[in-house]
Amino acid sequence: MTPLLSFVNVGKRYSDGGREIHVLDDVSLDIDMGVSVGVLGARRSGKSTLLRLAAGITLADSGTIYFRGRDIARMGGRERGRLLRGQIAFVSSADWRANLSESVLDHVAMSLGSEGLTIREARRRASRVLEEVEIGAGDIEEPITSLVPAERARVMLARALAHEPCLLVADEPALIPSPSERDTFYALLRKAASERNMTLLMASEEMAALQGTRILMSIAGGEVVSTEARGTVVPMPRRAGAERPGQ
Amino acid sequence: MAMASISTEKTRWMRGPSTPMRGALLGLLLERPGHGGDLANRLAARLGETWRVDTNDVYRLLEQLEKTGLAVSRDEPKRNNHRRTHLVYYPTDETSEALTLWMETLLPREPVRLGLQAKLSVAREQDAPRLLEALKAYERECLMLAQLVTPTDGRGRSWTALCLDCTRDAVYAQLQSEIEWTQRTRRRINEFREQPR
Repeated sequence: MTPLLSFVNVGKRYSDGGREIHVLDDVSLDIDMGVSVGVLGARRSGKSTLLRLAAGITLADSGTIYFRGRDIARMGGRERGRLLRGQIAFVSSADWRANLSESVLDHVAMSLGSEGLTIREARRRASRVLEEVEIGAGDIEEPITSLVPAERARVMLARALAHEPCLLVADEPALIPSPSERDTFYALLRKAASERNMTLLMASEEMAALQGTRILMSIAGGEVVSTEARGTVVPMPRRAGAERPGQ
Repeated sequence: MAMASISTEKTRWMRGPSTPMRGALLGLLLERPGHGGDLANRLAARLGETWRVDTNDVYRLLEQLEKTGLAVSRDEPKRNNHRRTHLVYYPTDETSEALTLWMETLLPREPVRLGLQAKLSVAREQDAPRLLEALKAYERECLMLAQLVTPTDGRGRSWTALCLDCTRDAVYAQLQSEIEWTQRTRRRINEFREQPR
C-alpha cells in the first residue's frame, strides 16, 4: 500500500548571511493513512521545516516528498495550494491570522469558500466542528477577538477540521498556559484524528504535547530518530537509491 | 543527642538506592494491604514506564520493611484457591509516620544513564561511532517509553487524578531531559569529529 506521505532522502538548507545551514539532512520516512506522528524537537531543530515540507508549503532542496504517491515538487503552485486547502490542513499557533471584525463562526465558515458551499452550508459545517471542539453555541457569534488562548487553539483546530483533510499538520498548535486546558486540547485533537482516520503529523518542544501519538520522532541538527509502532514502518535513514514508495 | 539517635533510627530504612521503592511501597500499604505480586503490579502502574519494577525485588524490599517494623505480614488463604495461602502485607502503627518522614527528606541525586555514562567515561576516540549508535538507541528507547504513557484528557478534577497527572508529567520531563542530553552529546561528538586537526 502506498503511504500517505513519504520523504525520500530529503534535505533542506537555508543561507544565513553567506553561510549555508543544513536544516534537514537526508531524512527518509513513510507515514501511513490514519497514523499519528509526534515530532519532538527544541527550537531551531528543524521540526517546523519538516512540517512545512510535509504540508507542501516549502519545497525540498534535495530528495523527494510524495503525497499519495505523487511528487509534491512536480505539482504546480495552484495544485499545491488546492492540496493545502483540501486534503492537507496546516495549523500553527505562530501563523494564526484572523479578520478581527468577524465572529468565531464566520472565521471558520469563511475559510470554506474554496469548497463550493453556500454560506448557509459553510456555516452549518463550521457550527458542527465548533461544537466538536467544545466551543458552545452561545460563543460562536462572539467576535474572534474575545477568545482566550485555549479557545483560540480549539477554533484553529475547528477551522482545519472543517476542510475534512486526510492529513493534519500541526506545528506547536497549542501555546496554552494552563496544563489541563492544553491536555484537553490535545485530547480533542487525538479524538478528531482517530474518529476520521486522519493522519496527524504534530510537532512540539514538549513531549507531553505529543502524548498518545503512535509514532514518536525526535529531531536535532536536521537528523531524525524515530520509533516504529504497531506495524507501521518508518525506516530511517534510507540511503540513496532506495525504491520509490508504492513500488 | 537523643533526638538525633531517634531520627537516625527512624530513617535507617531510607538508606540505599532502593529507598524510593521502599517509600512508595509504604504508601501503597497504607492505601490498602496486599500480597507481593499485587504490590509489585500496583508499584509498576504507579511509578510509570521509566521504572523497572522486579517482583523479586519487591518481595525482598517488603521483607526489609517487615524487619524494620514498617510492615507486617500474615499468611492468608488465596482468594481463588482457599487451600493455598500467601503472605499479605499490612502497615503497622509506624508506617504512616515513616512515610511522612520520607516525604520530608531531601532526595539524593539519582544516578542516571548509568551504562552510557560509564561508557562515555572510558571511551577512546575510535569508539565515537559506537557511542553515537548507543546514544541513538537510548534516544529511541526514551521515545518508545514515552509512547507507553497513558494519555490524559486534562479533565481530572479529583486529587488522585491530579497526582496521576503530575506523575505523568514527571515521566515526560525525565524522558525529555534524557533525549535532550543524548542529542546534545551526539552533537558534541559530531562537532568534535568534524573539526579540522
